[in-house]
Amino acid sequence: MSTISTAAEQVPATAPLVGRPDVNRKRMARLGWLFTAPSLIIIAGVTIFPIIYSVVMSFSNVTVTGNGIQLGSFTGANYSLVLGNSTWHYALFFTIFYTVVTVLVELVLGTLIALVLQRLTGGRGWMMALLLIPWSMITVINAELWQYIFQGTYGVMGAIFNAVGLGHPNFLGTPTPAIISLMIADIWKTTPFVAIIVLAGLVMLPGDVYEAAEVDGSSGWSTFWRITVPLLRPTLALAVMFRVLQAFGLFDLPYVMTTGGPGTSTNSLAILGYNAMFKNLSFGPGAAVATTTALLVLLGCLVSLRGFKVQVGKEGM
Amino acid sequence: MRRRKRTGWRRVFNGVYISSFFVVLFLVLPLYWLIASSFKTPPSLGDSPPQYFPNPISGGNYSQAFKQYDFGIYFRNSLIVTIIATALVLIVGTLAGYALGRLPMRGKFTLMVTLLMISVFPEIALIAPLYTLLKNLGWLNSFQALIIPYAAFNLPFAIWILRNYMLGIPKEMEETGRIDGAGPLRTIWTIILPMALPGVFTAGIFCFTACWTEFLMALTFNSVNTYKTIPVGIATFGTAQYVPYGTIFAASVVAVVPIGILVFIFRKFVISGLTSGAVKG
Repeated sequence: MSTISTAAEQVPATAPLVGRPDVNRKRMARLGWLFTAPSLIIIAGVTIFPIIYSVVMSFSNVTVTGNGIQLGSFTGANYSLVLGNSTWHYALFFTIFYTVVTVLVELVLGTLIALVLQRLTGGRGWMMALLLIPWSMITVINAELWQYIFQGTYGVMGAIFNAVGLGHPNFLGTPTPAIISLMIADIWKTTPFVAIIVLAGLVMLPGDVYEAAEVDGSSGWSTFWRITVPLLRPTLALAVMFRVLQAFGLFDLPYVMTTGGPGTSTNSLAILGYNAMFKNLSFGPGAAVATTTALLVLLGCLVSLRGFKVQVGKEGM
Repeated sequence: MRRRKRTGWRRVFNGVYISSFFVVLFLVLPLYWLIASSFKTPPSLGDSPPQYFPNPISGGNYSQAFKQYDFGIYFRNSLIVTIIATALVLIVGTLAGYALGRLPMRGKFTLMVTLLMISVFPEIALIAPLYTLLKNLGWLNSFQALIIPYAAFNLPFAIWILRNYMLGIPKEMEETGRIDGAGPLRTIWTIILPMALPGVFTAGIFCFTACWTEFLMALTFNSVNTYKTIPVGIATFGTAQYVPYGTIFAASVVAVVPIGILVFIFRKFVISGLTSGAVKG
C-alpha cells in the first residue's frame, strides 16, 4: 500500500480523486453506465422493443399488406381464438409432456453417466471432450441424422427391430413412435450437457462427509440417496431449470425431423406460432401463441428462481 | 479411499469400465453413422438392411455438396455471421462485465436479473416483431439481420460469465494501473483483460457455438440462397420428394468438424462455463 500512496503524490492530477471517495465513486459509477451502455442498447433494441410490439400485436386486428404488417384496432379475439383452439391445447400438452419426459430421462441418465465418470481414473479428459460433441452439434444436423436412423423403409433402427423379430415399424409415420423417436434424438444430444453439470457438482462435494458415512457403515446405495442427492440438489435444480426453459422453446428438432407430423402430433408451441405467422400469415393469433408461450416460460422462471433464491443469494450480488 | 486396489482382469472388467464402454457406445454410434453415411454412394444409402461399413467408400457426396449445392456459400455466411457476432459480444460484453463486476453502480442487481430473464426468453416471441423491424430497415437477407440479434441474445450470458471472472481479480492490480496514470480503457486492456482471459474464452466459445447452430432466426430472416447459413442450408437441401441424405451428411461432417476442433481445444473453458453458468446462476 505504501507504494500506492507515494505514487499518488507524484501524480497530482489523480491525487484529489484518491482523496475524495465520494467524487471518485460518482465518476466511477458514470463510467460504469458508459461501459454498460453499448450492451444495453443492443439488447434493448433487439428484445425490449419487440417484446412490447409483440404484446401489442397479439391484441390487435392485424392485416397483412404488400408493405408488411398493419396493426389495426384493439381486440381480444386473437386470444379467444387461440385459447379455445384444440390445436393449441394439443401443442400445449405436447410441449409440457415432451419437456417433462425428456428432462426427467436426461436428468437420470446424466446423473448415472456423471457417477460413472467420477469413478473413472484414466481418460476422463477424453470422455469430457466426447460429451461436448453432441452438445456442440447443430440441432438441424441432429434432426437429419435421427430422421435417417428412424426412416421407415431403410433406416438402421428398423433393420435392428427386424433382426430381433419386432418387424419394421414406420417410426416417423405413426404418432406415438414419432414422439418417442424425437425424444431419443433430444436425449442423445442433451444428456451430455446434464452429465457435465452434475459431474462438476459431484467433484465439488466435500470428501469428509463420505468418510464419515463409511465409518458409520452406510452402504453405497443409502450413501447415494442420503448424502449425494441432497448435497447435489442445488446443482440438479439449476440444471433442470435451464433444461426446462430450453425444452419449452422446442422448435428446430421437430421442425426438421418430423415437420410437426404425422398430422399435428409433434407440433410444439413454437412450431404452431411459427406456422401461424409465417405460413398462414395470421400474425395476430400467432403473436398470441408466442406471447402465451413467453408468459409461461417467464412464470416458470420466476417460480424456479423463488425456489433457488438461497442458492442465487449466496453469490452476493 | 473407497476404491480397493484391483489386480489382473478385474482391473479391466470392473463395473466402471464396463459402464464407461456403454457411455462411449451411446455417444459414438450415432456419430459413426453420420460419418459412415456421408461416405456411401447415393444408391447404397437406401439399402435395406443398411451397409454397416460403406462399400465402396465414396467422396462423391462431399464434392456434390460444394458443386451441385451451394454449401460453400452457406459455410462462408455462417463463418462471417458467427465471427463478427462473437467479436461484437466479446468487445461490448467485456466492457459491461467489467462495469458490473468492478464499478460501483446503483441498480446492478436489478440489471443482472433482467439480463438473466432476457437470456431465457423464447426466440419465438420475438421473431415476428424483429421480422417487421428488419423489413422496415431493408435488412432482411443481410449479414446484419443475424449479427445484431445473435449479439443481443448471447450478450446476457457473456456478461454474466465475464462479470464472474472480473469479480475474482484483486483490486490492487487495477489500482496500480490507475495510479500509473493509465486511463480506464487502458487499464482494462493491459491489466484486467489478461487476467480475465479464461472468462473471455469461455464467453467466446459459447457465443460461437450458439451462433453457429442457430436456426429459427436464420430461417426467418435470411431466406435467399446467398445469405443462408449452414443450418438453414442443410434443412432446405433437396425437395419434399427427395432427401439427399448423402449430401446432407457430407455437409454436416464439414459443419461439425470446425466447431468440434474448437470445442476440443477450449474444452477446459467450455466445462468451466457450463458449470459456472449453472452452478453460480
